[in-house]
Amino acid sequence: MSQRNSYAVGTGLFIVLGFAALAYLATQTTSVANTHQGASYTVQAHFANIGQLKERAPVKIAGVRVGQVRTIALDPKREAADVTLAIDERYSHIPDDSVATIFTSGLLGDQYVGIEYGNSKKDLAEGATLARTKPAQQLEEMLGKFFGAGGVADNLGGSYVLKARFSNVGALSVGAPVKMAGVPIGSVMAVHADPVKLDAEVELAIDRKYDQIPDDSAAAVFTSGLIGTQYVAVQPGGSPEFLKNGDEMVLTQSAMQLEDLIGKFLVNGSPTEKKEAPAESPAGKH
Amino acid sequence: MTTFAAPTEPLVRIRGLTTVLNGKTIFDALDLDIPRGKVTAIMGPSGTGKTTLLKHVTGQMRGDAGQVLVDGQDVPELSREKLFALREKIGYLFQNSALLTDFDVFENVAFPLRQHTQLPEVLIRNIVLTKLQAVGLRGAAGLMPAELSGGMARRVALARAIVFDPMLILYDEPFVGLDPIALSQVLKLIRTLNETLGITSVLVAHELEAIKQVADHVYLIANGKVVAQGDPKTIAEDGSPWTRQFFGGAIDGPVPFQYPADDYAQALGLAGARA
Amino acid sequence: MSAQPRRNVVTNALAQIGEAGLFLLTLLAAVPRSLRHVRETVRQLWFVGAMSLTIIMVCGLFVGMVLGLQLYYVLSIFGGTAASGTVVAIAIYRELGPVVTALLFAGRAGTSVTAEIGLMRATDQLAAMEMMAVDPIAYVAVPRYLAGLIAMPLLCAVFCALGIFGGHLVGVTWLGIDNGTFWSNMTATVDVWKDVVNGILVKSLAFGAVVSLIAVYQGYTTPPTSEGVAYATTRTVVASSIAILALDFVLTAFLM
Repeated sequence: MSQRNSYAVGTGLFIVLGFAALAYLATQTTSVANTHQGASYTVQAHFANIGQLKERAPVKIAGVRVGQVRTIALDPKREAADVTLAIDERYSHIPDDSVATIFTSGLLGDQYVGIEYGNSKKDLAEGATLARTKPAQQLEEMLGKFFGAGGVADNLGGSYVLKARFSNVGALSVGAPVKMAGVPIGSVMAVHADPVKLDAEVELAIDRKYDQIPDDSAAAVFTSGLIGTQYVAVQPGGSPEFLKNGDEMVLTQSAMQLEDLIGKFLVNGSPTEKKEAPAESPAGKH
Repeated sequence: MTTFAAPTEPLVRIRGLTTVLNGKTIFDALDLDIPRGKVTAIMGPSGTGKTTLLKHVTGQMRGDAGQVLVDGQDVPELSREKLFALREKIGYLFQNSALLTDFDVFENVAFPLRQHTQLPEVLIRNIVLTKLQAVGLRGAAGLMPAELSGGMARRVALARAIVFDPMLILYDEPFVGLDPIALSQVLKLIRTLNETLGITSVLVAHELEAIKQVADHVYLIANGKVVAQGDPKTIAEDGSPWTRQFFGGAIDGPVPFQYPADDYAQALGLAGARA
Repeated sequence: MSAQPRRNVVTNALAQIGEAGLFLLTLLAAVPRSLRHVRETVRQLWFVGAMSLTIIMVCGLFVGMVLGLQLYYVLSIFGGTAASGTVVAIAIYRELGPVVTALLFAGRAGTSVTAEIGLMRATDQLAAMEMMAVDPIAYVAVPRYLAGLIAMPLLCAVFCALGIFGGHLVGVTWLGIDNGTFWSNMTATVDVWKDVVNGILVKSLAFGAVVSLIAVYQGYTTPPTSEGVAYATTRTVVASSIAILALDFVLTAFLM
């Protein structure tokens, strides 16, 4: 009966479609995924350290995607990572002395391979090796000193007030913790601009337990982690005199403009993202 | 089947069948025989369990006591496989036809064949068309059940019931809701099937005039027993109070107008008024 | 099982679960007998599976698109839009795919199975099968149950594929997340066993077993009246939804 056949065919199609979807999802969207691409040519690059670079990560020139990472393998003889880049055939005129570098998109973004053109007249050929590479920057090492523990001190034991002046408090806000050696000892009571001295005057409420802070201690505005809130760190000095209620801390270190400092590590296609504050301001949108 | 019943034996023999449903006695030691090759009608007031009796014959229901012998086999004692094997030889015409709404007329009639045989498609087609031709609906083979009138649906159901050439057909109220033409058609079919194929037929119906035309024997059931039986043409005049009330349509008689209830006066709060 | 007095909700619910459990045993016992009705199973697979494809695909697409949009706005606060592929895939594989598919399936296919079987009972079709020596459990109930069981993971896979496509459409095509980043983050994080197999196969098989059982059971035990069928259909949706979400919690707790 034709009626029967149409059911059978339709049901068969349904089953095939379902299994095709399942197979596609299982192989193409998971770690099982193989690299697959259109017409491209492959280039080798050896990196001393690939950081978090993953297969299928983009390869970019001047911020424009030109291909993707095909394979990553360790070359045990040289203690280096062998990275195979698949580059679109349209971009076949890349000088053979170009430099491959591993970059990070944004602060939390994924890593990718950036190629900067060299001066050679010869183009990279299929299977050629990019001799000049720069490994992934270990951002966390360089930024480690800015990492701090979170948490706000409680003021149950009563507190006394210290003042500190900063030329720049960054995104420091009222209520932010004050830490010594990474341990919270108080909180920021007030932040206001001094109209005469043209700087920021910050009042810190310090727990009474910590009443033996040397009067030559320094105050600095730090950031907890890469995207954490800012806090005031107190670095004890060596003076035998202690700070008392209402005293001002003379030695201060203003908020580091993290983005200035690390901007060179954050090469990014989107110029707006370079201006983002790592602390609390939202990332740039497109 | 190991034992063959003698041809003169009744096809269905019911002895001492007793059934109690929800505290109500439906059959009270009922005895009844359905002769082979004849058309037997079972009549009775509504609610006396005529349809229930058919369900006992097919094993859909089991009594609390007694025997239901169909072709020599005791139906309540049969295993599921044996019961199903027996049912393949019994056609059953439901009151509302019970056609499978998913399938067209052809597939409805072909359904038992497809389920129980591995016949080639050509043969199935021939059998189905023969049966449809017999009920006069070969032209309706492509229709869906929803497109059929009540009479047509019943004839399709009949074609389906006879597709295996059964030894026994049970008709549950086959005349209800039919116009005079459809009624005559169904009557003629029942008679023809009985005469040409020798199929034993059992009818459950109320319509005495119709039954007179088609049945060889009539049972009148009331209060869980056979209260009268005989030739349909003469049974109405046998003089028993049951037949007089039933065929005369009298309100008063052995069949009470009132459903059994407790005392009326008491229910109205008039206890003592009757004293 | 006619309209029960609603004296005690808890007792009634327990009785229903118990009856459904016994009904499942009846079904499973009839599976060998229903092997000869493979054709009917295929036909039911068409009705409950293939006919549900449209709604599953449309809903999957929109769920993925909404997910892509929401994630973009939330993740862009942290500059982490590159992770949206990962989050879309994991959310869909682990929860949204199986759960939403099962809910849609209960509404689309479960109700029609309940209503169909209920009407077959009300119009004596089941009794007629009995009389034709065809076991209605093996011919009507089991094929619908098996079809639901088979269809659910397949529908769920289609839902997930469309969901990821929707997330990709919004995230990559419209909002400009890098295509390679979207996929590479996804493929680096999503695990075949923990996400795809647990979600699409384990969870949706479990949901398919439960929803189909509820639908077939409700239809099979419907009082043979139009009111009874309507009530049974409603109960299929309500009971299935509760069962899906409760079972999802239990399964998630076990699979994690």
